[in-house]
Amino acid sequence: MNQRVVITGVGAVTPIGIGVGQFWKAALEGRSGITAVSAFDELPLDAYRCRVAGQIRDFTPAQYLDGPHVERVDRYAQFALVAAKEALADSGLRLERENPHRIGTIVGAGMGGMVMGEREITQLYRSQKPHRVHPNFIPTITLNSASGIVAMAYGAKGLNLTISTACSSSAHAIGQTLIAIRAGRADTVITVGADASITPLVFAGFCSLRALSTNFNDQPEKASRPFARTRDGFVMGEGAGALILESLAHAKKRKARIYAEVAGYAATSEAYHMVIPREDGLEVAETMALALKDAKVRPAQVDYINAHATSTPIGDVVEVKAIRHLFKARAERIPINATKSMIGHTLGAAGALGGVACALALDTGHIHPTVNYEDPDPACALPGISTQAQERAVTVALLNAFGFGSNNAAVVFKKFVR
Amino acid sequence: MPAESDIARRIRTALGEYLKRDAATIEPRHALRDDLGLDSMATIELLFKIEEAFDLQIPDQDLQKLVRVSDVIAYVEGRVSRPAAPSGKPSAQRPPSKKKG
Repeated sequence: MNQRVVITGVGAVTPIGIGVGQFWKAALEGRSGITAVSAFDELPLDAYRCRVAGQIRDFTPAQYLDGPHVERVDRYAQFALVAAKEALADSGLRLERENPHRIGTIVGAGMGGMVMGEREITQLYRSQKPHRVHPNFIPTITLNSASGIVAMAYGAKGLNLTISTACSSSAHAIGQTLIAIRAGRADTVITVGADASITPLVFAGFCSLRALSTNFNDQPEKASRPFARTRDGFVMGEGAGALILESLAHAKKRKARIYAEVAGYAATSEAYHMVIPREDGLEVAETMALALKDAKVRPAQVDYINAHATSTPIGDVVEVKAIRHLFKARAERIPINATKSMIGHTLGAAGALGGVACALALDTGHIHPTVNYEDPDPACALPGISTQAQERAVTVALLNAFGFGSNNAAVVFKKFVR
Repeated sequence: MPAESDIARRIRTALGEYLKRDAATIEPRHALRDDLGLDSMATIELLFKIEEAFDLQIPDQDLQKLVRVSDVIAYVEGRVSRPAAPSGKPSAQRPPSKKKG
């Protein structure tokens, strides 16, 4: 057993572009997808402390999906479907030739079907008519609705799982896929991360948690500023990322194009606090070290880090402390970027979109910039963070993701060498 | 000891309720974090109660000023003694404009 696992297809639905081509072009140009929040119906937006987010504005489901998926699927699952569709097409997999029982689906989702969830709850309390709760409410808000729908859409009859670990959900989805394929439980897994929870209640909840940026309501594109001195909280985003992960043997057999190898993964718990990371960063450093060990890679070989970097005052400092602790002097030289600086924090989609960024960096040698980093915070500044796109021959990339509930994930990607 | 203001008493009571301890043992000089053991999340929860009790919105950037119980008391006293803004307008509670980075 112990199959090697490779990435053969990618898909993206983001505030800076729908489709990997658009997303990657915008990311390399350093375009921000953060704008003033809209579409909260009659709610007084002025009463929200934060009023900016990375919303996907040009998403018309009918353009990408067929009838039932347009009408009966929550927005987050629509994002998942669109990203999965792109990734599958990109992979060149011909599903009719595959054994469906060897194709799995693993989706990471932090919040799930909140668009429909909030709408139905509001209507129930307003109308006082329980018999008018939509019959599709439960199947839609069940947290695994996206993995179910993606599996059905493509007839994937292997494992069908949802990983929900808040902000790290889809980094764990990639990691759990690695474990499943290594162990021979599937040949191919459609691995997705998705969330669409810039909804009145969830957005208000993150405001109350004092987790969001509030100082840049008049300059939305400046609000997400990981590692910058004036960062003051994260910015919510929405979207989906998808990766087709296959055993190397399966990919070789069908002569698939390979973006990169998924080489290692670690999952740990700080067992510390629901929403606050340990300030010394030691657990994060340990997570990265375990993932590198799993990949049989030394810290000295890592030449790109896609950081979790949400732009919160404490989180970014902890992550840089951890990087310094593990990589020692090399921390000063590794290119590091924060995808969230442009698309905001897409919660359950963040790990998958970070994974797409890692796959493309390994494949193309381009590392996208970190925007709004003009004035670095000395407490978390590293020379490898740049406001400009960098061109490097990347051989080993590390993806970090940390989630509420005191959980950490790290995934190691390697340039594929035959 | 000078007479305690109504606001101070209500804040100490709220703290006592939150911490499940006798409000009389909570003193203005106590630091929320170091003396009372409130982490940042617990501080946010406490301020959520205080916002409701005094019908206030405390902007995020004011949080760092609130280190001791006395800071919270002074802050709330300062906020509630201001002339009331016209009611019914959400903008009345909007945090003051902030410095830009």
